[in-house]
Amino acid sequence: MRDIIVNKIIPFSTVDGIGNRCAIFVQGCNVNCIYCHNSETINLCNECRECIEVCDQNALTYLYNKIHYNEDKCTFCDNCINLSKYQSSPKTKKYTVEELFQVVKRYKPFIRGITISGGEPTLYKDFLLKLFKKVKELGITCYVDTNGFYNGENLIDLIKETDNFLFDIKSIHQTKSLCRTQLKGCLENLVHLLNLNKVEEVRPVIIGDYDDSKNTVITVAKTLKNYPDVTYKLIKVHTLGLKKRANEAN
Amino acid sequence: MISDKKDIIDIVKNKALTYQQKLFNLANISERLLESREILRYTNEEIIHLENHMICDLNEGYAIYRPRYIVADYSTFVKKGCKFLDISAPKNIDELLDGLLILYNHVPSITSFPVYIGNIDTLIDPFITDEQTDYIKIKRFLNHIDKTIVDSFCHANIGPNKTKAGELIIKTILELKNPTPNITLRYNSKVTDKDFALTAVKACLKASKPSFSNENLYHKDMGEHAIVSCYNALPMSGGAYTLLRLRLGTIAKASKTFKEFIEITLPKVTKLMLNMIDKRIKFLVEESSFFETSFLVKESFISRDNFTAMAGIVGLADAVNHFLASEGKAERFGLSSEGDEIAHHIMQTIASNVNSHKGVYVERTKEKYLLHAQVGANLSDEDNYNTPAHRIPIGEEPDLHVHIKQAAQFHKYFVSGTGDLFAFDQTYLGNLDAVLDIINGAMEMNYRYITTYLQNSDLVRVTGYLVKRSEVNKVERGEVVLRDTAILAKGTNDNSKVFQRRIRK
Repeated sequence: MRDIIVNKIIPFSTVDGIGNRCAIFVQGCNVNCIYCHNSETINLCNECRECIEVCDQNALTYLYNKIHYNEDKCTFCDNCINLSKYQSSPKTKKYTVEELFQVVKRYKPFIRGITISGGEPTLYKDFLLKLFKKVKELGITCYVDTNGFYNGENLIDLIKETDNFLFDIKSIHQTKSLCRTQLKGCLENLVHLLNLNKVEEVRPVIIGDYDDSKNTVITVAKTLKNYPDVTYKLIKVHTLGLKKRANEAN
Repeated sequence: MISDKKDIIDIVKNKALTYQQKLFNLANISERLLESREILRYTNEEIIHLENHMICDLNEGYAIYRPRYIVADYSTFVKKGCKFLDISAPKNIDELLDGLLILYNHVPSITSFPVYIGNIDTLIDPFITDEQTDYIKIKRFLNHIDKTIVDSFCHANIGPNKTKAGELIIKTILELKNPTPNITLRYNSKVTDKDFALTAVKACLKASKPSFSNENLYHKDMGEHAIVSCYNALPMSGGAYTLLRLRLGTIAKASKTFKEFIEITLPKVTKLMLNMIDKRIKFLVEESSFFETSFLVKESFISRDNFTAMAGIVGLADAVNHFLASEGKAERFGLSSEGDEIAHHIMQTIASNVNSHKGVYVERTKEKYLLHAQVGANLSDEDNYNTPAHRIPIGEEPDLHVHIKQAAQFHKYFVSGTGDLFAFDQTYLGNLDAVLDIINGAMEMNYRYITTYLQNSDLVRVTGYLVKRSEVNKVERGEVVLRDTAILAKGTNDNSKVFQRRIRK
């Protein structure tokens, strides 16, 4: 994979691992959680062009069969995202490994590392493997913020290269209704990473009707019992900031 | 600037000053009643450049009878006590803290209050015997300072090493949330314990101090030193005789072209300022009796040999923006590489003039005066047109990483002090490591000093000193306030909107 599609880069983030970290949000996710606060990162843009009609600033144009985004004109009103039916964003940008490395390098003196979030970063495992090898030359660390829905056998090299994971545990038994996916294996993947001492933080989202919240909280707590250095952060779901479509799903 | 008799009656009748503030103001007015041509032998040309506001003497006065900043070595008191005050060397923490409070009362400065009160953790630490009771004593000591040294330019240092006293001082800072004393942690990431640094970060966010100075860099440039007043780095056991400043924005406006500014006006005005510094020092050393009579000199708390003087600047941003605009460019200082080039050209011109000038009575700093990034004051309408130091004007601040990198390139010029302050939002409290990473990054880029506070805090760092917003609100309502710095803060906020710094999220 030559390129990665990036939804957003936050140069200094205080909530994506300990220390000051550059958070890179990739576009594309393999699940579709009903409470997702970044629902515009779920799908790739299908060039429907509806966003162009709702952009008052003319920051979006369609040229040569492609939507072009002009950040200088954007007022970040997010109309293009909020009105999208497709849980996507026209404001993404493609990067090669070298291009993204150069962006990270700019922030280097002030950051402890980078955290790839999303979307689901493991969808870009080959790209990230190359990026992480290069970023580590700067003497900083590379984290992955994952939903845990991946096939561990396909991820051996990336796990090896990743310094730490931030791990979302959505649910133990109700991933089908909560995350609208048939994928499984999150807890096993978490245990594997814990055994490798590669987990910094685990975060279940507590959402009453959909989630087997109590079971999830207790199961994960038992799993983490022997790992006192791992932060266990319970996230209470809230509707503030949810996109229109996600609210409808509720 | 020269004062007149009317200033006296205005001060006497003022309804917003305490008795003490009136007393110090009247003393200052009397110093400025004297004719500077006679007493300091200022030339007409020098006076013209004070009156046209290109040079500012910060109202220091003309009959100079004490150095502007005194950096007393208080370890001398710990070793020997003080003969003049008839106090023996302290034997326990009570005698130490009591003795220091007495001593502070006799250390003058331009404000008449001490601008430096010691590396207090290293002074106190050997006397710690019981953490609980000593904590109460330290708290009482610091609270006493806040209520009697009613001027936030009063500055204590701590660090670079972690000590029990240092930890208790930070605990006290968090509890008292007082503006005074200003406190700086002399920080060296290789020496300062990380947990101690993180505790300091927490206090800095919640109580706006301690700030962080680059111990390694300052030690390399200055040797034994202290951080005093706002963020001035000055030689230990000495200080600075005087501080004058160039209003670069004002000088730029008066120049027809950049060529004229850089080749003629700026070197000329810089030279005039240096000449005035010479004359001020000569009067203080040769004609005032300070160094002959002060017990601080006689008992080796300070030595004349360790004094220097400061050549300050303000308004670098405004000078650069003036010349960018005159070239028809829409770019502004802070986000313009051409602007940075112009700024370096200006600073190199000033530095070259300052460094080629043989200073008087400044052996400690190799017979040179030291450049200083002065943080501003509200002494003339021209101060509206001169942003503090080399800072980017408030309201135009770029993203944090861009901002720090832009500012960092100018720190090398200002051996006697420069620094920046950033307002953070609450989320940083949940990740203190993130703030320390930013501080470490800034120091790696040879930042000399950096500080922060939470935007919603009542304690706000104005330019280098701390005030309570609530106190400044009282000044705005015409009420009497305890600290003169709250009055200064009102003027600075009117000019520079310091309460509206960009919040870093």
